[in-house]
Amino acid sequence: MLTPEHIKEILNDYTINLRFHARGGQGGVTASNLCVEAFYGYGVCQPKFGAERMGSPTESYVRLSANADLVRSNEQVYGPQFVSVLDPSLLTEVDVTAGIPKGGWLIVNTEMDQLTVQDAVQRKDINIATIDATRIALDVLGRNITNTIILGALIRVSYLFTFEELSDAIMKRFKGEVAGKNIQAIKQAIEETCVYDIGIEPDFTVDSKIPWQQVSLGLPGYKDLDKAGVWYCDEDIIPVGSDQVNTGSWGEWEIIWDEETCTNCTQCWFICPDFATIRKLGDDGKYHMSGIDILHCKACLNCLNICPVQAISKRPKQGPAACALPEEGGGN
Amino acid sequence: MSIEPMKIFFKEIKEPIETAMIGNYAVAGGVTQTDPDVVCAFPITPQTQSVEGLSDVVHQGRLKAAFVNVESELAAISYSTAACAAGARTFTATASQGYLLMSEALPMAVGWRVPLTMMISARAFNSPNLSIWNSWEYVITDYGWNCIVSENVQETYDAAILSVMISDNSLFPTMFVHDGFIISHSVQKLWLTPDEVVRKLTPRKPRHTITPERPGVWGGIVTPSFFMEGRMNLDVAKKSVLNIMKNSFDEYGKATGRHYNLIETYNLDNSSKTAFITMGSMCGNIISWMTKNKDIGLIKIRAYRPFPYEELQKIVQEHNIEKLIILEKSDALNNLLPPFSTSIATALYPLNTIFRSYIVGLGGRDVTRDEFDITKRKMESVKDMKGQLYTYLGVRETKDKIFEVDR
Ligand code: SF4
Ligand code: SF4
Repeated sequence: MLTPEHIKEILNDYTINLRFHARGGQGGVTASNLCVEAFYGYGVCQPKFGAERMGSPTESYVRLSANADLVRSNEQVYGPQFVSVLDPSLLTEVDVTAGIPKGGWLIVNTEMDQLTVQDAVQRKDINIATIDATRIALDVLGRNITNTIILGALIRVSYLFTFEELSDAIMKRFKGEVAGKNIQAIKQAIEETCVYDIGIEPDFTVDSKIPWQQVSLGLPGYKDLDKAGVWYCDEDIIPVGSDQVNTGSWGEWEIIWDEETCTNCTQCWFICPDFATIRKLGDDGKYHMSGIDILHCKACLNCLNICPVQAISKRPKQGPAACALPEEGGGN
Repeated sequence: MSIEPMKIFFKEIKEPIETAMIGNYAVAGGVTQTDPDVVCAFPITPQTQSVEGLSDVVHQGRLKAAFVNVESELAAISYSTAACAAGARTFTATASQGYLLMSEALPMAVGWRVPLTMMISARAFNSPNLSIWNSWEYVITDYGWNCIVSENVQETYDAAILSVMISDNSLFPTMFVHDGFIISHSVQKLWLTPDEVVRKLTPRKPRHTITPERPGVWGGIVTPSFFMEGRMNLDVAKKSVLNIMKNSFDEYGKATGRHYNLIETYNLDNSSKTAFITMGSMCGNIISWMTKNKDIGLIKIRAYRPFPYEELQKIVQEHNIEKLIILEKSDALNNLLPPFSTSIATALYPLNTIFRSYIVGLGGRDVTRDEFDITKRKMESVKDMKGQLYTYLGVRETKDKIFEVDR
């Protein structure tokens, strides 16, 4: 079990790294900002650099230390000792345990018990804490915003800052009743966090970054590339761009294509920004529309608007992205 | 709708306060404090929040500036240059393709000697692919703008104020740069300078402006009998800019306690007589890494344009630096060296310093301890200036091989 003294000692000579997984709009970046603001020493917070959309999986990172020089690095966080997951649906969608060293902590907002989480992430060498932050959020805040509440669970297992330090940071950021309710919710979270401690501590003195991990081996090298940097759709060789990303989880609409009405004019195929309208080569040697790639369709509605015969329609999507609420004061 | 981080700038800042925010909002705040008359920019990732933050303070009433929406970066720089020539304190901001689109008008702000300021959130330009992430696009062109480069959020905030001082004192436009996303979007703690101090540092000074009192032709055509004199006049005027920068840094340091230099150095009297030389956010990565690698130094270029070559020569000589490892986030498809390295090589020409240039971190690729470890090791066996002087580092050669790295 970690102790406040041990954590303090580590922070004098090393950094402690955190990562937050959320969906755009759930306030993961605010949670990491609050860590920096609540922490007594030096800290930086980076979002995962890129475009963030409401509902899309987001990551943000925090690096903390009492040594200013150590936190001066702008390198990305590769080996987080504490990872918090704000949305349980992410457990299977992204690799939330990537880089967590043996003995590190995974903190999940979920109703599931720890063993189920352990099963879902397939790691037996890390500690797990769970908190039903969604319920607390609905009870105390009256809306499903869990980004401050998960920090209660973080306090419970990490001792990086105290409840009082976090309350101060909250009061600086939010006003009056909002601040009060958030603080109340955090307090409740600290009490209600379920801790599944496997009895191993992370070794804070070694960073678990794999050498040259930033170079992403496995993707094509400079010798393998097409002359013009083009990704041809009939070749499956360059898994970059949105192909890597489940952009289908971003949008709020499910797009429905109606084969009966479609005249195969291909306008939707040309206008889709993501090749998410699928066409297939038919026996007649011509391409025919065959449906929507729901893994990548981000519901921009371009196809729906351009279709001359209303063969494309939409209906509200069920599922995780639909519950993402706008963040107080806006995130980044 | 107001943006929460800007609220701190809505009221008079009476004493130094510590806060935490992303680089872009910090710049918006710093610019607000310098009280510009005109803000005119076109939004582009990763610069956007700087302009968004400024629109917020204008909307809220804290800043009495004309916030001008335009249809492109070329319009933004043209409008800004003209506004500044008309006497307005003017700020603009851009990145990447936006900077390239500005190119046509960038030399005129220099030619007219207008004290315009511009923030750049450095981002790769599109070739062969689009990238919204960090490279040093701003080093590929040089039309005579002053340029200071920041390592972190505190520095870029300070640069917003310093640039106004430097522009006003030199009557040359100044761009200040931070690395896109890495600094523009990272939340870091920083100290804000009180408004009163900023006001004292950036007083309105009388200068040449377009005025109906004294009609004239700005930028009119000249024959071959006039053009060269104009260019040389600019060149001579540029000679004093480094001193002006230095004085501005000193004045700012005295007022805020945060002291900057044209070039900053770390641990140069080291056993290997070797130092990294680079600029921007990578310096922070190197400084962290140096806590466990004490036999190597760092030279950090803060003033990139004009290039402080005399200072660099002095530093290299005084500390007996024998080898330099240049790290640069831009490349050179045609030249012997990429642009930043070219400036350094030119400055080092009279000395016998051995160097190699490593192209790293293009398009947002992270630059880590791996790059520092390997360049340090590689440099140990470099004994002369023969062969190709630059190389890419941290690039996949094939699916399972990293170029020139034996793992
Ligand atoms: S909604 Fe947009 S992304 Fe989805 S299939 Fe239509 S055009 Fe493509
Ligand atoms: S635009 Fe409409 S009619 Fe044309 S191919 Fe697409 S779905 Fe069919």
